[in-house]
Amino acid sequence: MFTCPHTQSKYDKTNVIVWGAVWVWLILALLIFLPTTSKAQDTASGDHVTVRWLAPDTFSANQTERIGFYFEVDPEWHVYWKNAGDSGAAPRFKVQPDGATTGDIEWPFPVRLPIEHLTNLGYEGNVAYLLPVTPEANAKQLSLTVDLEWLVCKIDCIPGFGQMTLTRPVGNKANWKANDLALRDQFLKQVPSTDSPSPWTVSNIYALDETKLQLNLKAGGNKTDSIPTVFPLDGDLITAKQPEVTQNNDGIQLVFNRVPGANLTTDTDMIITDGQSAWPLSQIPISAAPPPLSNESSQPLWLLVLAAFAGGIILNLMPCVFPVLSIKLLGLLETPASKRVHEAIAYTAGVLATFAALGGLLLLLRSSGNAIGWGFQLQSAPVILGLIALFWLMALSFSGVFEFGNRLMTMAGDQRGGAFVTGMLAVFVATPCTGPFMGVALGAAAVLPATSAMAIFLGLGAGLAAPFVLLCLSPALLNRLPKPGAWMETLRQFLAFPLYLTVIWLLWVLGRLMGDSGWLIGSLLMLTLVFAIWLGRSQNQVRRWTAGGIALVALVLAFTSAKTIKPPSGQTTASASMWQSFDSTMIQQARADGQAVFVDYTAAWCITCQVNKKLVLDTEPVQALFKENNVLLVRADWTHHDPAITQALEALGRNSLPVYAWYAAGTNQVELLPQILQKRMIRNLFE
Amino acid sequence: MSHTLKTRIQQFALAVAFSLPTLAIAAALPGKPAPDFSETDASGATQSLSDYKGQWLVVEWFNKDCPYDRKHYDSGNMQSLQKKYAGKNVKWLNVISSAKGKQGYLEPAEAMSEAKSHDMTISAPILLDTDGSMGRAYGAKTTPHMFVINPEGVVVYAGAIDSDDSWSPSSIPGATNYVAAALDAGMSGKPIKVASSRAYGCSVKY
Repeated sequence: MFTCPHTQSKYDKTNVIVWGAVWVWLILALLIFLPTTSKAQDTASGDHVTVRWLAPDTFSANQTERIGFYFEVDPEWHVYWKNAGDSGAAPRFKVQPDGATTGDIEWPFPVRLPIEHLTNLGYEGNVAYLLPVTPEANAKQLSLTVDLEWLVCKIDCIPGFGQMTLTRPVGNKANWKANDLALRDQFLKQVPSTDSPSPWTVSNIYALDETKLQLNLKAGGNKTDSIPTVFPLDGDLITAKQPEVTQNNDGIQLVFNRVPGANLTTDTDMIITDGQSAWPLSQIPISAAPPPLSNESSQPLWLLVLAAFAGGIILNLMPCVFPVLSIKLLGLLETPASKRVHEAIAYTAGVLATFAALGGLLLLLRSSGNAIGWGFQLQSAPVILGLIALFWLMALSFSGVFEFGNRLMTMAGDQRGGAFVTGMLAVFVATPCTGPFMGVALGAAAVLPATSAMAIFLGLGAGLAAPFVLLCLSPALLNRLPKPGAWMETLRQFLAFPLYLTVIWLLWVLGRLMGDSGWLIGSLLMLTLVFAIWLGRSQNQVRRWTAGGIALVALVLAFTSAKTIKPPSGQTTASASMWQSFDSTMIQQARADGQAVFVDYTAAWCITCQVNKKLVLDTEPVQALFKENNVLLVRADWTHHDPAITQALEALGRNSLPVYAWYAAGTNQVELLPQILQKRMIRNLFE
Repeated sequence: MSHTLKTRIQQFALAVAFSLPTLAIAAALPGKPAPDFSETDASGATQSLSDYKGQWLVVEWFNKDCPYDRKHYDSGNMQSLQKKYAGKNVKWLNVISSAKGKQGYLEPAEAMSEAKSHDMTISAPILLDTDGSMGRAYGAKTTPHMFVINPEGVVVYAGAIDSDDSWSPSSIPGATNYVAAALDAGMSGKPIKVASSRAYGCSVKY
C-alpha cells in the first residue's frame, strides 16, 4: 500500500537512507491509525491537472461498482480519449486490486479538438475515466493501488504521473456521497454502451480508395433527422479528422481519412454518439472496395452502360464532334462499298482504343490516389494548344487555303490508318462535350471497380462509333445521301466555319487557363502556322525546309511556354460578383446557418456549362430570384485541376460537368438539377 | 508488383497526364516517392533529398522540449538507434519545423550545440525548417515523426518511432521499434510489415 519503502530500497546500501526509510515507515505506520489518512493518497496532481476518486464510502458485496478517476483540468487544457488522435496520448492506469477484481477502463465519448494543423480526440474540461470494481466474495475490505500516467496539453504538452490508493469497507449496500455519485453518473452515461439499442446501424464500411474509408449508416427510430458523431478507435488506420458527412434517402455517409500507407485491417471499432449517449460499433468488417452499385440507391451496370451508349450517340451531334465526323462522311461517299466495312472496323477500333486508353489512364491515376475527373485532359494548356493547332489546320484545309488539305482528306478518307486516326480524334474532341445521359454513367464510373468503369467507357465509345458504323454497313442508308459531286466542295468549305468556331472557343479556354498570354501564344502559333504553309507552298527545297523549321520552332516555343506560364491568381471567377468561389467550409457554414446554397460546378471547357450560364443562371430574373431568397451562390470552377472540387463532385456521385447542386434552406438534402437548365427549374426551387 | 515498377508506372501515368500542374502529393506517403526538399542546416549549408540518393535515409522531426523527444533522447534510445544505423551506412537527418517564437525553435548556433549536447549521430547539422515548408511537404504532424526513405527515394515507412505512445521511457523496452524494423527488413530486401502508424508525439509547432 505504501510505495516509499520500495522506491527507497534501491538505495539501501547507504546507512543514512536505511535510517531514513525506517523513519518514514514509522511515521506512515502512525498515520494509518489517524482517521483522516484515507484522503492522503486520494489524489494525484501535476501541472494543470488534479485527479481524485469518485468512489463510494462503502462498496456493496458481490456487486460491480463503477468508480471514477476524476480529472480536474485547467481551462483550455485537455486530457485525452483512448484514441488520442493526431498527437497527445491517452492516460494510463496500472491497477493493482486487493480484495476485488477490476475490469478495463471505460472511456466517456470524446470531442474533436482541432489544435493547429491537427485534430485530437479528448475532453473539454473535466472528465472521469471509469473503472468497474467487483469485491471478492467474503471480502470485508478492498483496496486499489493505481499508477497513473497522463499527458495534459494546450498546445504544448506536459506529462504527469502519480499513484493513488483507495481502501474501502465492503458492506451490504453501496454508500455514495451524492455529489460524487452525480458526477460518476454524468460520465457513466457518456460511456458507449449497448444497454439501449443504438439509433443508428452500420450498413457497411469500405475503402473508397487508398486515402478514404466510407462508413454507411442507417438511421432508425426518432433519429432520422439528426447526424451522429463517430469516433474511430484505431488511430493507426483512421485519422481523427472530422469525416465528410452526407445524408440522403439511403442513410448517412461518413468519409474518413485513412492514415497514409496503413494496411486495411479485416475489421475496425468505432463509437457513435448523439451528443448525450454513446454506443459502440464493434468489429465492423471492412471491405477493400466499394460494393458494386447494385443496391437500390443506384442503377444496375447494364443500365449505366446503356446510358453511356445513348450519351455516345448524342455526342455525334455535339458542335465539337460534328465537323470531324462530317469529314469522315464526305470521305465515305468516295469510298467503294467494298472498303467501307474496313473503314467501319478501323474507325470503331480508333474510338474504342482511345476511350480505353483515356479510361485506363483515369483509373490508373484514380488508383494512385489522385483526385481527377472526366475532362481532365482539357485542364492542361499544352493539350488545348495542340487541339488549337489541329483544328486550325483542318479549318484552313477545308477552306482550301492549302493543298495539304487534299492529303489530309485522303488520309482521313481512304486508308484504314486514317479511319483509325479519325476515331481517335473524335474521342479527343468529344471529351468536353458531356451531354445528356453521360453524367450519371461517368459519375458512376468514378466510383465503380475498374472493370465496370471500363465497361462504361467502352459503352460510351460504342455509342460514339455507332452512327458511322451504321452508315458504313448499310448501303441502303448511304444511298439516301446525295451522290458525290461539286456540292461536296461547297459543304466542305461551309464546314470550315464550325471548325473556326471551335478554334475561337479553344483560344478562350486557353485564355482562362493561362491568362492573357494564352490568347497571345495561341494566336501567334496560328499565325506562324499559316506563314509556314504559305512559305512551304513553293517548289524550292530551301523554302520548304525553312517552312518546316519555322513551324517546328513555333510549336516547340508555344508548348514550352504553355507548360511554364501559370494563370494570374484570382482571375477565374471574377466575371460575376454574385458568385462566390468554391470553399467547402463556407458552404457548410451557410448550410448550418440555415441559408440556401446553389453550387454551379463549371469549367471553361464545358460548353453546356457556358450555355446554361448565359441562358439561365446569369440572367437578370434568375439572379433576382436568388437574391430575393438569400441564396448563397457558389461557382466551383473546374477549368484547372482542383482536388477539392473533384472531391466535392465525387461526394455527389459525379465527376463530369455540368453539375448543379441545390441545398434548400434548413435541410440536409442535396438536390441535383438536370444538366440542361431551364429558368422554370430555378423558379420551381422556390415554390 | 514490385514497388519500383509500380512507382515507374505511376510516374509514367503522371507524365502522360499532360503535365497537370497541381498533381503534387501533399505528404510523404509509404510507397510513394519522397517529396524533394532543399533546406538550410544549422551550419548554413543546403541539404537536399538528391544528396542522399542511393542511400537509406531516416528523417526525424525534432523538438527538444517535447516530452516525447525527451523520452527517446533522455533514455538514450534515439542516440543508440542513430549510432547503430550509422554503422550500417544509413543516413539520418534531423529537422526542426518549429516557427520562430514557438516551442522547439532554435537559432543555428543553438541547434549546433543541441545536437552536440544530445550526442546525436546525424549525417548533417540539424535542418532548420523555420517556415515549415519541408514539414508541410512531408506532412509531418508530430515530433518525433519518423520517415524512412530507401535508396530509390521512395518512402517505406512513415509514422511513430515505436508502438508505445507512453511518454514514459520505461515503455521503451516493451515497445516494437518500427523504424528499426523497417530499416532491418528493407535493407535485407524483405517486405516491411508496418509501413505506417499513428505518429504519436507532440504537434509540430508550425
